[in-house]
Amino acid sequence: MIRGLGILLLACASLAQAQSPADALALLRKIYQATEKLSYTGTFVYQQGDRSEASRITRYAGPGGATEKLEALDGAPREIVRTREAVKCYLPEIRTVKVDRRVDRRAFPALLPERLTELARNYEIALGEGARIAGYDCVSVVLTPRDELRYGYKLWADAATGMLLRARTFGRDGETVEQFSFTQLSIGNIPRERVKPKHKASSWRIEDATVTPANLAGTGWTVGAALPGFRKVTEVTRRLGESRPVGQVVYSDGLAAVSVFIEPLAGRAEGVRPGLSSLGAIHIYTREVADHVVTVVGETPAASVQRIGNTVEFRPRP
Amino acid sequence: MKSRVSELMDGELQGREAGVPLEALQSEGEAREAWRTYHLISDALRDTRMVSESFAARVAARLSGEPTVLAPQRRAAAPRATRFALPVAASLAAMALVGWFVVQPQPVPVPAPVVAVPAPAAKVAARPAPRVAPPAAANDYLLAHQAYSPRNSLQGMAPYARTVSAAAERGKP
Repeated sequence: MIRGLGILLLACASLAQAQSPADALALLRKIYQATEKLSYTGTFVYQQGDRSEASRITRYAGPGGATEKLEALDGAPREIVRTREAVKCYLPEIRTVKVDRRVDRRAFPALLPERLTELARNYEIALGEGARIAGYDCVSVVLTPRDELRYGYKLWADAATGMLLRARTFGRDGETVEQFSFTQLSIGNIPRERVKPKHKASSWRIEDATVTPANLAGTGWTVGAALPGFRKVTEVTRRLGESRPVGQVVYSDGLAAVSVFIEPLAGRAEGVRPGLSSLGAIHIYTREVADHVVTVVGETPAASVQRIGNTVEFRPRP
Repeated sequence: MKSRVSELMDGELQGREAGVPLEALQSEGEAREAWRTYHLISDALRDTRMVSESFAARVAARLSGEPTVLAPQRRAAAPRATRFALPVAASLAAMALVGWFVVQPQPVPVPAPVVAVPAPAAKVAARPAPRVAPPAAANDYLLAHQAYSPRNSLQGMAPYARTVSAAAERGKP
């Protein structure tokens, strides 16, 4: 009898273990849904190396879609407002607003639910331990990369609503690369006024990215085989600041993304610094190819941006 | 044993073959010494910025203590010869170069000549790119990139904090 009970318990335990990846995927889905539907406002801290910066983030989910606003609380005042149509970045110090209109809606996030299983091919996904963050009891999910081409992530979400409270990006040895963490958050009942830009900006300079779908291969450019597990998400031309049109190709593995920018060397205001730089989890790799500057920007380890950057080639069309 | 260690490093040994040198590497001795020396050489070939005066002195000391260091490689004759001709050539070239640096009286000014060794280029993975300051337009790149990151769908706008981070401004002149 006792032995039978023991076997039953063992069976239950192994069943629970077998189910845990599904539970972890379910939690990811819950986080995704919360991000889509909740209204909230709160203060979070972004940490990168020995720096940390506070921002306020507010989201209003209304019948006409959501509007979100991010305000930098430390350093120079800046504000970014995102709607279904565009992302606008307000820089009061230089009285400039940068506008990035969305053209290829398919390229924008809603990627996740369909791509959860694809995600599982690149990351081992498991539940982590809980924690209390900004007054919320949180559960966590850990995404451990299956290779060295991407970082790992640990996400803590409110157990009740699925709202993401903390996101930690970690490197190969488990070291923290960057972290976002709410220190204060209230969910629900956000008046619409809270997401309006603070600045009228009517007399400000407007830098419109004028994003247009593009086919870079047609102009002689090739980006070689993408990194394993990454697929092409979109291909556009756009302006950066006041630059001439720049080509941008984006690759993603379902969680991390890498952009390849290709811009003519002629007419650039500043010089080119070939090499590798980093900002938290973002690596930037710059090289010159055929009188153009190739800049690869990705939230991946250095080797990944370098690898993809080195495959960029130009073969003039006859 | 040194040649086995060299083959191990070049990825020539598989399965059981690798067992013998691996076992030898577990304790201090000739194999581990060879392992260190070969890695120093390989580091020198990949990224010469790491090379210091003491590096040259240490290799020189070891070279003078091991006049036969190149000899065991010759035993790896017929069938394998073509397969590791390149790595061996690279090692020889490296030895020669390192030796050349060692006999120079001045502090070693290194880079260019070592980089100029053509053989290992194909064999060795891409050298790490030099570290530079972020581009002046880092914020513009980040803003343009962030819109397409799937992380937005898990985190809303929070990742945009990077694009307005003062750190991204550091690249500004």
